[in-house]
Amino acid sequence: MRFAASSVLLLACLFSFVCSLSIGAVQVDFYDVWLALWSYDNTQLAQKIVIELRLPRAILAFLAGAGLATAGLILQTVTRNPLADPYLFGISSGASFGVVLLLTLFGIQSGLAMSGAALLGSICAMSLLLLIAYHKGTAQIENMLLAGVALSFLFNAFTSLLLYWSDPQAVSAIIFWSLGSFSRADWVWMWLPSIVVISGLVIVICFRRHLNALLLGDESAVTLGVNVHRLRLGMLLVSSLLTAVLVAACGGVGFVGLMIPHIVRFFISQARVLGMIVTALSGGLLMLWVDVVARIIIENQELPIGVITAAIGSVFFLSLLMFRKRTASI
Amino acid sequence: MAAAQVSVSNLHLVINNKSILTDMSFSIEQGRFLGLIGPNGAGKSSLLRCLYRFQEPTSGAIKIDGKNIAEFNRQDYARKVAAVLQEIPSQFNLGVFDVVAMGLTPHKSLFASVSLRDKQAIQEALSKVGLTHKQKQSYESLSGGEKQRVMIARAIVQSPSLLLMDEPTSHLDVKYQIEIMALAKSLGITVVASFHDLNLAAAICDSILVVDKGKLVAHGSPQNVVSSSMLAQVFGVNADVTLQQCAKREHVIPHIRYQYQQPAIIRGIPRSQP
Repeated sequence: MRFAASSVLLLACLFSFVCSLSIGAVQVDFYDVWLALWSYDNTQLAQKIVIELRLPRAILAFLAGAGLATAGLILQTVTRNPLADPYLFGISSGASFGVVLLLTLFGIQSGLAMSGAALLGSICAMSLLLLIAYHKGTAQIENMLLAGVALSFLFNAFTSLLLYWSDPQAVSAIIFWSLGSFSRADWVWMWLPSIVVISGLVIVICFRRHLNALLLGDESAVTLGVNVHRLRLGMLLVSSLLTAVLVAACGGVGFVGLMIPHIVRFFISQARVLGMIVTALSGGLLMLWVDVVARIIIENQELPIGVITAAIGSVFFLSLLMFRKRTASI
Repeated sequence: MAAAQVSVSNLHLVINNKSILTDMSFSIEQGRFLGLIGPNGAGKSSLLRCLYRFQEPTSGAIKIDGKNIAEFNRQDYARKVAAVLQEIPSQFNLGVFDVVAMGLTPHKSLFASVSLRDKQAIQEALSKVGLTHKQKQSYESLSGGEKQRVMIARAIVQSPSLLLMDEPTSHLDVKYQIEIMALAKSLGITVVASFHDLNLAAAICDSILVVDKGKLVAHGSPQNVVSSSMLAQVFGVNADVTLQQCAKREHVIPHIRYQYQQPAIIRGIPRSQP
């Protein structure tokens, strides 16, 4: 039954992928999408739109969804806190800070430079956090979470300060950036998020037993032969890297990392390989459609991704909670 | 599952300049059931933590089958020693089957999947604890006693030769307390368990270790260890201990009857006259 449901999910992902290539300001029919994918002719405008614009976008959207959902799953597991999310550790605040610094000090607004600055900023935040965690030696989860929240506030303070002094144009650029968009998707840089997301997923699947042992508690995990401290640090590194790269590529897309693992957990135990794969696929699936909605909901204008993920995600999640409550009370 | 022989010699544990365990030496024979008793904060959990290597002793040695436990690597040690603790996973919607399957962790390499044989082992463990019919439920939906039984099934899958239990039956119904301890005893491996209920400890254990303020106060068979004077000295309670003939076993077990009156110290204080 579960296997069948997962196959349906996989098919849904493939179908959504094709849809996201077809739907947009210029409607491209499925036949042209098919032609573009298998026998690309760059003199045809429709095919060019598919390959040059929509395909990298769709891939980035899928990777971002899958990657953030995986990062969320990792963090929720290692902190044993179902409310942990990839942005909790100040990674996105670090990225925003990097971008704001670039905009206000150098006035550069090119997409690539912004991505680079975001990556540097988030790596900076990540190293600080790892340094704190490592310095503590036998770091308690609670301390780590608190340190992450504190770091996040620290970076936000710097960002706000810089924004306060900068001109309105830069402010609006920052706001658009921080709400997330896949418009900067580009074939040249696609290898980086691809490698990071795929290897992140492989690592999580390999270490699934160790990760799940952590859910029993630190001491029980030790009795199962897990090096708790090293595993936690390593997994923190993996999820931070995932988040840093994705934030750099598409800005701060909130909510996916928090909600997707949570929603999947309602239906399938995360202790299984299938649970982890379903989490990644669902994240990707959601993002594909969010991107489509962002492109078509207002004509000739693109909505920020973060607004849509938060809106859809919260409504869906609330309804799920209410539904669950009703079944539980019977 | 071969039973392990454990010996502890001159064990000291100091944390933050505070002495937690002082000069503990004892040994457990193969296949015996050792009970740890002592008041709250006496050092029972710390001793167990040293045994399952969550904490490293400051000095002294713990040996299992003649080998110092510090010399095992993590995985090998986890194959030899399992623990059932009070930690309970929550909020993650784990299935009962999946929790039991976690016992495979030290037996599996990174890429290995669950084989047919592993599945059989999990099923056997589930039937041993009588939860086969609940394997598809979520762990959180179980009662307290069932949760602990799942944890024991997990330990069975780990196929250890030494099982450590840290008050696995506190806040459980009497029925489950007896059931869980009897289950642990039936495994035929060496067991070290800390107890809250002294009568239960006296009835179940082959030998009892009394710990007070980090020191080993007494070690021996229940009828030698459990006495009114020990209870007064270590636990600060007045109690009568009677020896009872056990129906199924040949030997006698001590039975404690607490005196529910004002303790001696309070009784000694003169009442203020109006």
